Amino acid sequence: MGSLSLRGLSARYAKTVALHGLDLDVADGEFFVILGPSGAGKTTTLKSVAGLVDAVEGEVRIAGADMTGVEPYERNVAMAFESYALYPQKTVEQNLASPLRSGRTGSWSPAEQSERIREVTTTLGIEHLRGRFPRELSNGQRQRTALGRVLVRPADVYLLDEPLSHLDAKLRAAMRAELKQLGEMTHTTTLYVTHDYQEALALGDRVGVLREGRLVQVGTPAEVWHEPADTFVARMFGQPEMNLFAAELAAVPAGGTAARSRRGGIAVGAPHSVRDSVDPGGSVLLGIRPRDLAVLTGEEPADRLVLRGRVTLAERLGRLVELSVDVAGEAVIAVTEDQRVREGDRVTLTVPWDRVHLFAGGPDSGGPDSGGQDGGGQDRGGRRLGGQRLGGGVPLPATNAGAAAASGGGAR
Amino acid sequence: MTAPARVRPDPDTGGRRSAGGAGPSPVPAWRRGLRPYVLSLPAVLIIAGILYPFVLGAYYAFLNYAAVVPNPVFVGLRNFASVLSDPAFWSSVRTTLAYAVSATALETALGVGIALLLNRSSLVGRIFERVLILPLMIAPVIAGVLWKLMFNPQFGVLNHVLGLGSTFDWLSETHALFSVVLVDVWIFTPFVAVLVLAGIRSLPREPFEASAVDGASWFYMFRRLMLPMMWPYILVAVIFRFMDCLKIFDHVYVLTAGGPGDATRTLQISAYQNSIINFNYSVGSTYMFLLWAIVFLTARYLVSVLGKAQRRAAGSEA
Amino acid sequence: MGDGSRPGGRQPAKPAGREGHSRRGGKSSAGEPQPGQRRFSPASVGGDLVLLAWFVFSLFPLVWLVLLSLKSESEQISTYFEFTPTLRNFGTVLSSEGARLTSVNFSEALLTSVLNCVGAVLVSLVIGVPAAYAAGRWQYRGSGDVMFTILSFRFAPELMVIVPLFVIYNQLGLFDTNVGMIWVLQLVTMPLIVWILRSYFQDLPPELEQAALLDGYTRKRAFLMVALPLVRPGIAAAALLAFIFAWNNYVFPLILTGSGHTPVTVAVTRFLGGGGQAFYSLTAAAAIIAALPPLLVALSIQRYLVRGLSFGAVKA
Repeated sequence: MGSLSLRGLSARYAKTVALHGLDLDVADGEFFVILGPSGAGKTTTLKSVAGLVDAVEGEVRIAGADMTGVEPYERNVAMAFESYALYPQKTVEQNLASPLRSGRTGSWSPAEQSERIREVTTTLGIEHLRGRFPRELSNGQRQRTALGRVLVRPADVYLLDEPLSHLDAKLRAAMRAELKQLGEMTHTTTLYVTHDYQEALALGDRVGVLREGRLVQVGTPAEVWHEPADTFVARMFGQPEMNLFAAELAAVPAGGTAARSRRGGIAVGAPHSVRDSVDPGGSVLLGIRPRDLAVLTGEEPADRLVLRGRVTLAERLGRLVELSVDVAGEAVIAVTEDQRVREGDRVTLTVPWDRVHLFAGGPDSGGPDSGGQDGGGQDRGGRRLGGQRLGGGVPLPATNAGAAAASGGGAR
Repeated sequence: MTAPARVRPDPDTGGRRSAGGAGPSPVPAWRRGLRPYVLSLPAVLIIAGILYPFVLGAYYAFLNYAAVVPNPVFVGLRNFASVLSDPAFWSSVRTTLAYAVSATALETALGVGIALLLNRSSLVGRIFERVLILPLMIAPVIAGVLWKLMFNPQFGVLNHVLGLGSTFDWLSETHALFSVVLVDVWIFTPFVAVLVLAGIRSLPREPFEASAVDGASWFYMFRRLMLPMMWPYILVAVIFRFMDCLKIFDHVYVLTAGGPGDATRTLQISAYQNSIINFNYSVGSTYMFLLWAIVFLTARYLVSVLGKAQRRAAGSEA
Repeated sequence: MGDGSRPGGRQPAKPAGREGHSRRGGKSSAGEPQPGQRRFSPASVGGDLVLLAWFVFSLFPLVWLVLLSLKSESEQISTYFEFTPTLRNFGTVLSSEGARLTSVNFSEALLTSVLNCVGAVLVSLVIGVPAAYAAGRWQYRGSGDVMFTILSFRFAPELMVIVPLFVIYNQLGLFDTNVGMIWVLQLVTMPLIVWILRSYFQDLPPELEQAALLDGYTRKRAFLMVALPLVRPGIAAAALLAFIFAWNNYVFPLILTGSGHTPVTVAVTRFLGGGGQAFYSLTAAAAIIAALPPLLVALSIQRYLVRGLSFGAVKA
């Protein structure tokens, strides 16, 4: 039973507060990824679970037992450090033997130790390096050795701190696949920390987005992708980042509410959830992921948002093309496989209505007018700032002027 | 990666929990916070033990303790009044300051020059760099003995080699201060040189390469780039030397015992004469108290200058 | 990025991306002959001459000392550079015949120096290593004060403590004893050891010990298993440097020892004692013997010298 639960976990380094009361439940055997930019508190979270941070408040429970005041060597936790932290004066074999010989991870005879080490090193493909010292290894080999030191002993929780961040891109992709396999094999509760959203989506059973010491959203990869809690989470996932357009809410004469961008080029119907939170005239943000946009060939569909504009930039990236399209003054980034589009062309893009996200507007919403400040989150008084996701788009209410409004470039 | 072997870490066998142990035993936070103090306790005790005589020494300055007064009484600031109005004291201060300033200045100039020259890695430099440190590792008192032999007017080698005849007295009243400073320079210039050289060698290369590409002259690079970056190292050396010169004793005592007359009577030598030779413990302690005050104030000033120089070298101040 | 595989004692942790070999003296790229500049330009020859002048000044006295020590008694003041060398002086200095002759028991002084210095360094290590570790790892309240106080011992005038110690030692019977000297020498050895080692401990990445903790070792075992081996070079350097300074110390034994337990530094000066005979060659021989141990030690720790001399301030 290796479940992990955090309650109100706060941590401090001297005067700075690194974690502000985290609450989290990780089920036994779950592979949980914590995603966040640098400085968010990811490593601090791991070290707090491990018992390596002194100024800690709140509760950490491992396998149901309260770990307050418990020393790291009694928590039955294994950690792979971002810097690998391999013992420089010991060989790979001795590094892996270290946890087995301490006596607190179990008792093994020397033969059993050798056997376990052999198994782990074979699995990780470093068996031929057992006699080498860390300074003789490449980064990838060191990373695997650090992983080996984690896997070689039983533990209630594995803590992995950005294990792939110092590897080159190709190796990183390969190791991602290996880690996925390892995760499925070991069935141990794992807390995995990274700043790379692709790792989070690929590896995690659930993902927690950490920002400045607070968990902004916790959910499955599908949830954080399709229903990001705010603009910060929305922009964390996806490359290129989600498009955000400032829009205004206006009542449509025929009933319902629409959100229109500044020059009306992008307009979408607002669902009840939006209407309940924002009054007409209020500002919202429209969010569209570049990949959700498709280049239209043929007739305009009625069941999607249609955007018309001129291509200002087309970057070919192998199989994909990244387009920057000017739609009534808004720069829309789209990613498509259609290779025929050229700069200067007029192009039509479509996206399903429900793939248009509506976020609360406002100065701190993270929209284009907010001065680059990432949206979402709370101020110290717990007041919610702009940027929360309010809902998905709905078809634009039809009006007499509906056709004109939906055609983009309208003078309204 | 090879096909994954069955490497499931087995939580059931060999697990600590199944070994019949009790659960984890929490250690209260206050006990953990005590650790650094426990580790430092022996050192702190020793420090206290060493501080005690220091405090006692300072206290003696306020007594009338001497061999002829075995049961001294508190006399307030009387010693200070008498010492501070004693021309012998001020002569001692002047001598010490003259010594410290001239020795430090000479050693800094020479040391920096030697460091710069050695940095070029010329043939001469590479051969001799290994023996640069030699005079520094000899006990200053032994260096004093050595130079005393060399200074001897009749058969000392210096007079012979420099053709000064057999009557030139290096340790005469007019020459003594120069000679002891000379010995100080001989012993301690390598200290400055080694420190500054290490500093120069640790400077990053890129600013100089960029500057050379920009077409800067050597002189410009030296003045604008190298010197500001070297400054903290030079200052560290200056601080160490100046503070040590203020309390110089060993080789000066062996060479001249403070004389002839007052020519080389530095503050510590004065204190030595008062306390150990004349058994005027309190007077000697007063001298030391005043010297310590000078050292303390000088140290604070110099360290703040060093801090500024370090920030400047790192670029955070103009 | 640290890869944790670099021994902390050898080099401080480097910021990511900076290669070791690019940190060379900036001057060397400016001072080496530029294209178009002849290798033996007037400037470089002038520089070499200056260097040569310094090394002549620096080494001549040492050479002369060696020569003097090789002169026989009859030639010690009658010749300068032409003489017949003999090693007898070294033997005399160390023998009991020499002791009788000069009333200086030099071989006993040698032993006393060894005893005092080794003892002082050991005491400082036992007490200083944990204190340096505590100050280097944790910023506990008061650590700054403790370190500053220790540093102040380095710069405090010795005579300030000698006078009361003289009185105290006489009362306690510690005058002219090895124990008394070992205690006083803490003023010399402890600041060095604590400050130098603190800088080495500060350079150790804490994650190595943290990894050991998670492997299941207690803090004490983690320290012994991980931290201590990595600072071993630093400990050796600090201990040997402290040994040198303790050995070269003069003013403490001058006042706090009598004729029974004088170390070599005081003993050498006795050879020149006024009146009676002058033992110049013997003095030279004694001086060389007294200076040899620190010299040999210094040559063996040359790499760590700068860090030690500057008390950890200069990490080059």
